[in-house]
Amino acid sequence: MTGSITSEDLISSQASLPGDLAVAALALARHFAAGGTLWCIAPRWPSHGSHVAVEFVHPVIVGKRAFPAVHVEDDDLVGAVRLLSRPGDALLAISDANDSEVAAVIRRGDAWGLTTVAIGAGPRPTVRRAEHELWLDDMDMARAARSGAVVLCYHLLWELVHVVFEHPGLLAAGSECPDQVCITCSDEGRVAEVRFRPGGDWAVVLAGGEEETVDVSLVEEADPGDLVLVHAGVAITRVCESDE
Amino acid sequence: MSEPTAFLYPFIDREERDPETLLSELSSSARAKIRESAQLTTGTLERLRPDIDRAGCDLAARFARGGRLLAFGNGGSATDACSAVELFLHPPTGRPLPALALVEDRAVVTALANDVGYELVFSRQIMAHGRAGDIAIGFSTSGGSRNVLEGLEEAARRGLSTVGLSGYEGGPMAGNPGVQYPFVVRSDSVHRIQEAQSGVLFELWSVVQKSLEETHGEDR
Repeated sequence: MTGSITSEDLISSQASLPGDLAVAALALARHFAAGGTLWCIAPRWPSHGSHVAVEFVHPVIVGKRAFPAVHVEDDDLVGAVRLLSRPGDALLAISDANDSEVAAVIRRGDAWGLTTVAIGAGPRPTVRRAEHELWLDDMDMARAARSGAVVLCYHLLWELVHVVFEHPGLLAAGSECPDQVCITCSDEGRVAEVRFRPGGDWAVVLAGGEEETVDVSLVEEADPGDLVLVHAGVAITRVCESDE
Repeated sequence: MSEPTAFLYPFIDREERDPETLLSELSSSARAKIRESAQLTTGTLERLRPDIDRAGCDLAARFARGGRLLAFGNGGSATDACSAVELFLHPPTGRPLPALALVEDRAVVTALANDVGYELVFSRQIMAHGRAGDIAIGFSTSGGSRNVLEGLEEAARRGLSTVGLSGYEGGPMAGNPGVQYPFVVRSDSVHRIQEAQSGVLFELWSVVQKSLEETHGEDR
C-alpha cells in the first residue's frame, strides 16, 4: 500500500475544504473571544485529540495567544462532555462517520449549547451532522489519520483562528446563523436533552444550553439523557439515536 | 497571511463588520497551505526514497527477529510518536507490530522529569526497555530537543536502530552519529514539518510491511 498524500488527493478532490475551514475558523475564533473552551474528542485516534489540545494551549509561534482546548478521554464521552462543557463552548470531534459514541456527543451539541466541528475522512455522516464538517471525502480515515492529512486539517484550523484574531471587529460580531435554515431560529423544533422528570407529563430539558420545562405527553418515553424535538414548549417526538 | 500595513490603521479593523472579505482570504490561505503541505510531503518522500527503503528493510528485519519500536518526542511531536505507535500496533492493513510510546506513562515521565531532569526522560527509559534488536524513533521539528537526542544516543550505544525525524536543516540531529537514519523535512514551518513527517513515517511503515511480507513472511 502506498501511503503518501499526493497533491491530487488534497487539492483537486477536497474542493470544499478551504471554504469550510474558513467558516469554522471564524466561528471558533468567536467562541474563544467570548471565553469559550474547545473540547476535543477522538476516541479512535487519541494522539490527534492530544495534538489539538497542545496546539491551542501552547502555540508553536511565539507571541500567539494561548486558547483553552482540552482533549477529553473517558469511557463515557457523552457524560464527560455534558459535565465539563458550558453553553458557548465548542466541540471538535475527530472520527470517521461510523463512530456511534462520537455521533451521540455531536447530536447533543445543540441541546448543550455547543458549536460542533467534525474532522474526518471517507463517506460523510448521513444522520448526525456537525455544524462544521472538515471532511476529506476521498480518503480512507485510517490513511488520513496516519499520513498527515488529519493533522493538516487541525493545523489549518489553528492557523486560521489566529488570522481571525487579527480582525477584532469581526470577533465581536454576533453569531449570525450560518445556514439558510437555522433550526434554532425557525419554528421547525429544537433538539433538547431530557435532564429529569419532575412528575406527570413534564420534563426539564436542556435546549440551546438552557433549561426549560416542556410537556412530554406526546412522546411515549422521555428518560434522562434522551433526546427529544421540542416545539413551542412541547416535545413532539423522540430523536432517533440509531444511525440507520 | 497577516497584512503588513494593518497596524497603521487599527481603527479600520475595529470597524470591520462584514466577514465576507476575511472568509475569502482565509479560504485562499487554506488552499495555498494545503498545496504547500502536499508539495512538501511529495518532495520530501522523493528525496528520501532510498533512505526510507533502506531503513524500512532494516526495521523489518529487526521486527522479524522480535524487535520492538520505541517512539518519543515532545509536545505535538509526542503525539506524533504516539500516532506512529498506534500505526504499528493497529495497522489499517498488514501485520500488527510491537511498539511503545515513551511519552504515554505519566508516572514514568513525571518521575524522571522531577527526579533526574527533563533532558533524560527518554534516555532513562531506553536504558530500562531498549534491547539490541529494537528500534528507536525520535521526533523533533527543530532537530535540537535535548531529551530526544539523549534518547537516540543512548539507543545507539545499546545497539538499537535509530531513526530521527527533524525539520529545518536537520538541526543538531542531522550530524549526530547516534542517529542512523536522519530524515529531515526541509521547511521552516513547524506545522508543515509535522505534516510531512507523518507522511515519511507512514511511508516507512509501508516499506516495513512490504518487506515483511516479501522476505520475512515465514518468520511470523
